[in-house]
Amino acid sequence: MNEKYLMVYVVNRCIDCKACMIACKVQWNVPSDHFRTNIDEKYIQTPGTKKKIFLPSQCNHCDNAPCVSVCPTKASHKRKDGIVHIDKTICIGCKYCIPSCPYNARFYNEEDGTADKCTFCLGRIQFGEEPACVRTCISKTRIFGNINDPTSDVSKVIEEAKKEKRKIFRLREDIGTEPNIYYIV
Amino acid sequence: MTFQNAFEWQIALYLFLAGMGAGAILSSVILEFYNPTLYKSYIKSAGIVGMPLVSIGCLFLLIDLGQGLWKPWLLIRLFFNPTSAITWGTAILTVFIIYSTIYALYHWGVIKSGGGTLTKIILIIFSIGTAGYTAVLLGVLKAIPFWHQTSLPILFIISATSTGISITVIVQKIFLKDEVDLKKVESGHFYLLVLEIFLLMGFILIAFSGVPEMVYSVKSLLFGLYSLYFWLFLLLLGLIIPTIVFGLLEFKNFHFGNKTIILVEFLVVMGGFFLRYLIIHAGVFTEKFISYIGG
Repeated sequence: MNEKYLMVYVVNRCIDCKACMIACKVQWNVPSDHFRTNIDEKYIQTPGTKKKIFLPSQCNHCDNAPCVSVCPTKASHKRKDGIVHIDKTICIGCKYCIPSCPYNARFYNEEDGTADKCTFCLGRIQFGEEPACVRTCISKTRIFGNINDPTSDVSKVIEEAKKEKRKIFRLREDIGTEPNIYYIV
Repeated sequence: MTFQNAFEWQIALYLFLAGMGAGAILSSVILEFYNPTLYKSYIKSAGIVGMPLVSIGCLFLLIDLGQGLWKPWLLIRLFFNPTSAITWGTAILTVFIIYSTIYALYHWGVIKSGGGTLTKIILIIFSIGTAGYTAVLLGVLKAIPFWHQTSLPILFIISATSTGISITVIVQKIFLKDEVDLKKVESGHFYLLVLEIFLLMGFILIAFSGVPEMVYSVKSLLFGLYSLYFWLFLLLLGLIIPTIVFGLLEFKNFHFGNKTIILVEFLVVMGGFFLRYLIIHAGVFTEKFISYIGG
């Protein structure tokens, strides 16, 4: 069976150190003012308490990706291994994919004149390395792997979370994009 | 909430110019069916503005490109993805530009054939297509709830026709200096403007009772960052004053000089630009974290 890569965030572990953002930026020389991954701060209010949580986000490598269907040149495409990839040699930089993404995960790279986003570190995982953000995550919030392999870390973590009846969700499942990043609370 | 910032004034200008060019040709073809001899100079003026405006609009689209600008051979790929609204638009624009050129050359006497019924029918379909597609381009994106409304293409088609009539009348009055009776055109223009005001009101009201992102977009237009542009340039100068002037022409038989009419037509054109500029800039991304109910 083909590989299908996805990522899991165990969100309660995130301490907002932003090492993932920096590792990604350094690894791929991401232009200033832009990040391929972000950490958002949200407050959860219950009577008498206010709790701050940190929610990482990046490209969700959707199975039904709006950026792929709106790209006129087919530069944005879905690979067999599940990664939504931009072929930088044919992207014309029309920017249409940027407002098409419900996760606001894309940006315009002024340096090469093309759309830009997370690649699941394709250039690393091809050589058996973990993505830079996963490698650097000190709290083990980020877990990456092949969901079609039952022995992979992601498969184990999701299985375990299901057994423990923890909340597992993906972002905006209501709009039908079939994202491939799982949040475990 | 986050405003989208991928599309800026260049795209607004493109949507506006493409719509205005298409609207000029649309109004001209309809008037030609009605009375080709009476509106000869109107048709000639529409011929001058139609294709060039759409082409200048496309030029702004090109300027806004990244890599495609310095590697133009990649642009053939614009036709490659049948699910992309840009691919639909490229096809529609190609047909429109070819036929509106033939139409203009025919009416200026450069070519002897090609302005027949078939060309006119094709032009009606593809000018509505061009004006409507500029809204479909935005409307298909569900990531921006404010744009994701069915009334947007109708609003843009009405506004395109209205601005198209205005620019044609301006060119006719300034360059062709033909004192033809445009009473029917101005009366039609009045009803188009009334319709546009109602459509815009509906568009705003529906968005105002929509999801929070839509409400945020509307608030930025009505009371926030863009309120001056919205109330002054779009609503008052671009829609209400022209409606009053054309209403006086229609119902009270007022007579306005050419300069006043040209000024009012210019206001309509300006309003058309601000309509697109504001709708583009008020676009807010849908919230991605709504499903988080944490413990």
